[in-house]
Amino acid sequence: MKVLLVDDSGTMRTIQKRMFAKLGVPDEAISEAADGQQALQLFESNHFDLVLTDWNMPNMDGLTLLKEIRKRNEKVPVIMITTEAERARVVSAISAGVSDYLVKPFSPDALEAKLRRWVPAGVM
Amino acid sequence: MDVRYINPFIQAACQVFHTMLGTRIRRKSLLLKQSDCPTYDVTAVVGLSGEATGSVVLSVSRPVAFRVVEILLGYETTEINADVADAVGELANMIAGAAKTQLQNFQLSLGLPNVVVGRNHSLFFPTTVRPICVVFECDWGPLAIEAGLATSQTESPSCREDASQQEAALASPPVKS
Repeated sequence: MKVLLVDDSGTMRTIQKRMFAKLGVPDEAISEAADGQQALQLFESNHFDLVLTDWNMPNMDGLTLLKEIRKRNEKVPVIMITTEAERARVVSAISAGVSDYLVKPFSPDALEAKLRRWVPAGVM
Repeated sequence: MDVRYINPFIQAACQVFHTMLGTRIRRKSLLLKQSDCPTYDVTAVVGLSGEATGSVVLSVSRPVAFRVVEILLGYETTEINADVADAVGELANMIAGAAKTQLQNFQLSLGLPNVVVGRNHSLFFPTTVRPICVVFECDWGPLAIEAGLATSQTESPSCREDASQQEAALASPPVKS
């Protein structure tokens, strides 16, 4: 399973990588990007089974990235990380084809439960 | 700054520390910011813009910063490094984001967090506003939140004259947070 993590915060990417490791997805299977532009470049040249992206990022935000990904791939699951303040805008992400979303701050249990929905049982 | 506007930041800080770090922070004091307002070793600043402008600041002591890294990133450190700065900046970003929800009237946009290390620095807020500083303690050490929001109301002379009333309001016993 190949995963693309997109967040301008290295801390958030590390939190997510640690949880993926717990679910059986090794670091080698994970690619990281610090903004939407970097992520799109990686997406265009690699195959991914899951994309986890922050919403508020420099250069290209998560919603724009989602729309660009959907132009290229309609099926790959994309999970959006939002803040409470962005919750009201989630409808625009749903319209753009987001697969799921998680509101931060989130507990480790909430992150694990969310990822378990999208990580195939075979890799755990 | 209208004292009412600090409550969303207090609630957001309590929520973020509890949810992300599994710890309760307890409010110790609340004051209009003076030059001697406590500023700790790692300070993250998030700019706010929209119908109001200003900043929210999260300043944490070294023990708190190190424990944050240990919990979020999974390793122990006794040095203030890039991970420490990034982790504290992300907490500040989440606090600002959560508070923004309760300040919807201002249609705020958040800037990206900037982090300052060390105590020998000054933070400037909009000249028309006196920021409010809230000092907390938790099991790991002290921390503080500062917030200053300039609204069209705070720029009016009548509101500037309310400073003494705000001082009196802040002097009241802390509410449970």
